[in-house]
Amino acid sequence: MTSLIRALSSSIGKKLLMSVTGLALCGFLVVHLSGNLLLYVGAAEYDAYAHALHAQKILLPIAETGLFLLFILHIALGLITAGENRAAREVKYDTQRSKVIDPSSKGAPNLASKLMVPTGLIVLMFLLIHLGHFKLGIISPGDDASEAAKAGRILSEGFTQVVYLIGTLVLGIHLFHGFQSAFQTMGLNHPKYTPLIKTFGFIFAVCIGLGFASFPAMGYLGRFKETETQTTENRAETPTSITQRK
Amino acid sequence: MSSLKLTLKVWRQPSRDEAGQFHTYHLEDVSTEMSFLEMLDVLNENLIAQDEEPVAFDHDCREGICGMCSLMINGQAHGPDNETTTCQLHMRHFRDGDTIVIEPWRAKAFPVIRDLVVDRSALDRVIAAGGYVSVNCGSAPDANAVLVPKTDADKAMDAAACIGCGACVAACKNASAMLFVGAKVSQMALLPQGKPERASRVLNMVARMDEEGFGNCTNTAECEAACPAGISLSNIARLNREYLKAALTAAN
Repeated sequence: MTSLIRALSSSIGKKLLMSVTGLALCGFLVVHLSGNLLLYVGAAEYDAYAHALHAQKILLPIAETGLFLLFILHIALGLITAGENRAAREVKYDTQRSKVIDPSSKGAPNLASKLMVPTGLIVLMFLLIHLGHFKLGIISPGDDASEAAKAGRILSEGFTQVVYLIGTLVLGIHLFHGFQSAFQTMGLNHPKYTPLIKTFGFIFAVCIGLGFASFPAMGYLGRFKETETQTTENRAETPTSITQRK
Repeated sequence: MSSLKLTLKVWRQPSRDEAGQFHTYHLEDVSTEMSFLEMLDVLNENLIAQDEEPVAFDHDCREGICGMCSLMINGQAHGPDNETTTCQLHMRHFRDGDTIVIEPWRAKAFPVIRDLVVDRSALDRVIAAGGYVSVNCGSAPDANAVLVPKTDADKAMDAAACIGCGACVAACKNASAMLFVGAKVSQMALLPQGKPERASRVLNMVARMDEEGFGNCTNTAECEAACPAGISLSNIARLNREYLKAALTAAN
């Protein structure tokens, strides 16, 4: 057991834990985006999903605790390794230029790979604001008729639109390198599969980034102003539809 | 044959403990057929003639195989050419009137000894921690007594091309030695002779690598691009695999 702990606290072990937690968080992003996309299907559907989720009195706290631990581990290891990496070069170069030549396959992720700490920190900042909005209710709290109305109200605020647009697009850049890099860290490098993983990672990053960014963008375009009023009008109707579903 | 007029911004540092700084030198009539080190030789000849201290830099074979020469040239390890060491870099890669910034490898694990010379013995200590096979040194074994598949031999040979120059560490934004250690672990893990000590080798070498103060791997691929021996990133993936396997199956 001590040898396992020693191995996991080595440089490779830490990066391995980061890759595993990172990929698990990618899984969370897929679920989270799927749920959010219900907002485009309809306010009632979104509310039904939110209520069904919150009705899980046992599973939800377990899942949330697991998610919280994943985030903490990923962020803490990110900060620890970033500190070690800084310390590994005490005197910086006067000039430093990349020698990576092929821009089609390596150039762009190469740039994203050098920005993992800044992009990670921006996403963390966004995450805290996002939790303040939707989880803790300490940022712009309000008395909303439904979950959809709450989302619509928050997404219609100018501050939210700016922060969420930056946060989600930067998340996409973070994933651009992070997704494929995780496989290399886990030792998966294969002439046939690595190009596939890289291509999939690119598509994944674009889908997740743009998918989440669509919410503040649509908020800016006034898409959720209707949702807000609609759900308030349909206030009486919503609980019935939920009971029916149950 | 044409000649160049160059401005050199060279890092000068009298010793490990003293602070260094850039000095600017002007050099004329540099032949495009000179190697980069020959150009520095000319600079040193000039400095000696002017009764100044010559610039200290590492070199040995000047054939691109010993791994002694280093230098960060205009921010690129071993200069702008690919799969080339500084000694095999020729001045035809530069233009008349160019300013060339010349720095030593910079890493906490590679302290500057003087000017452009750094102490790379950290890499030797990583090798000493496990980068070998313990064999009975009797008479020479029969040829083909140990069969090695051609594909494995090729991969091992590619990994063994590492000359230990430290360009991977120098080019990495984290000063990580993962490509070096990946190559050294791979060349033995791939061959039957390396199998008995496979697990202890990777655990000990990585532990030593961490102790020496190298950074972590972010998979930016700068090391692969800077490597004069063309060591591939797949060696880092193999190192990760070897390490994971060894760590999970270790008895103690």
